[in-house]
Amino acid sequence: MAEIPDHLLKRAQAAREKAQANQEPKVSPNEGVTAQTTSVVDDESLVQEIDEKAENILHQIQSGLNEKLISSHVAPNRGLWIRVSSKDWRETAQFLKDQLDCQFFDWLSVIDWMPSPYGRELDTEQDIEPETVNPEEQPIEWGYTGGQTRFQLICRVYSITLGIGIMVKADLDDQNPRALSLIPIYPGANWHEREAREMFGVTFDEHPDLRNIYLPGDFEGHPLRKDYPLLSRRMKPWPGVVDVEVMPGEEK
Amino acid sequence: MGLVESGKMPKPLTKLLNMSRRYSMWVYQWGLACCAIEMGAAFASPRYDVMRLGVIPLPASPRQADFLVVSGTVTDKMAPAVRRLWEQMPDPKYVISMGSCANCGGPYWDSYSVTKGVDQIIPVDVYVPGCPPSPAACREGIVLLQERIMNEDMAERWKGDPIVVE
Repeated sequence: MAEIPDHLLKRAQAAREKAQANQEPKVSPNEGVTAQTTSVVDDESLVQEIDEKAENILHQIQSGLNEKLISSHVAPNRGLWIRVSSKDWRETAQFLKDQLDCQFFDWLSVIDWMPSPYGRELDTEQDIEPETVNPEEQPIEWGYTGGQTRFQLICRVYSITLGIGIMVKADLDDQNPRALSLIPIYPGANWHEREAREMFGVTFDEHPDLRNIYLPGDFEGHPLRKDYPLLSRRMKPWPGVVDVEVMPGEEK
Repeated sequence: MGLVESGKMPKPLTKLLNMSRRYSMWVYQWGLACCAIEMGAAFASPRYDVMRLGVIPLPASPRQADFLVVSGTVTDKMAPAVRRLWEQMPDPKYVISMGSCANCGGPYWDSYSVTKGVDQIIPVDVYVPGCPPSPAACREGIVLLQERIMNEDMAERWKGDPIVVE
């Protein structure tokens, strides 16, 4: 993981200070201020209320899934993240649909958390040869709810009646990533699972038709895995870096 | 016309035929990505009025078309379809490649799924650069193609081997 640049840290610090200054109640007693403070209180109660809703739903999930729930995360106003084992993938979806009325299947995909073994970034002129970098040495950092494996299955379902979206994550096996298909519960998962299969090589058991959906049928490899090589970059450097023009008034 | 096959076309007749071909061109459109918006503006809007150049947009099928405009990103999955519909067009046929993606892959030059230029599957007569090219640039490409048709020796084209891209 790259270190956060100084100017970004400074900007974040300035933003925090500004937010603190705004929250401090003003001393001067005049009419406008009382209205302002009440509006601030209104805002806070609103935030509190939405937080409570997410916490309530998380409590329901906890009591419903028991030990199947590995970890969870509540982001105020932004929804709920939960992580389960890939063995409980389908039961979790069934529970969310039946008990929490998550009728709307938003999307499903896979995250490959491994840092790119080629050091690939936007400004990289050429991919580093894979021999020079050992992908095992680089530590993996996971997002919300943490993780233990390189691949994570992620899916978002939404409950329209409760008004909350729930992200469900599941760790997948590194060597043999597979999970049960969600089609019996959400038929719309069909194409999402086909895409996840061709892009990341995750197998979905009991899927009726696991063909490629975007790639040609004879495509080899899984292009959205971090260790998939972009062969064009091996052949020649990125032309965008080579073509940088000198701005008027600047010296090269 | 037996004259064309015999390869002994009188020059004035060649000129006449070329001129009539030049100003009556049905264009088959392959809008594959954002360039299709600009192509739509060029072909279907009264502002640019491409019909005054003798270009007739929107034929019912490639079998009625004289030239093809490939505008947008050609992917490896789409490539066989482009090739197949180009094969269905009657000779003499021409191709305009519009936009960076169709010319050479453009911003997707290192992609795993994008064909690096439509000229890998079909022969291209005019390349229109830009990302995307403006409708005026597309029109310029049509004018260049018309000049090319005007200076063409029909008998020579007829005699030549069929164009095959492998």
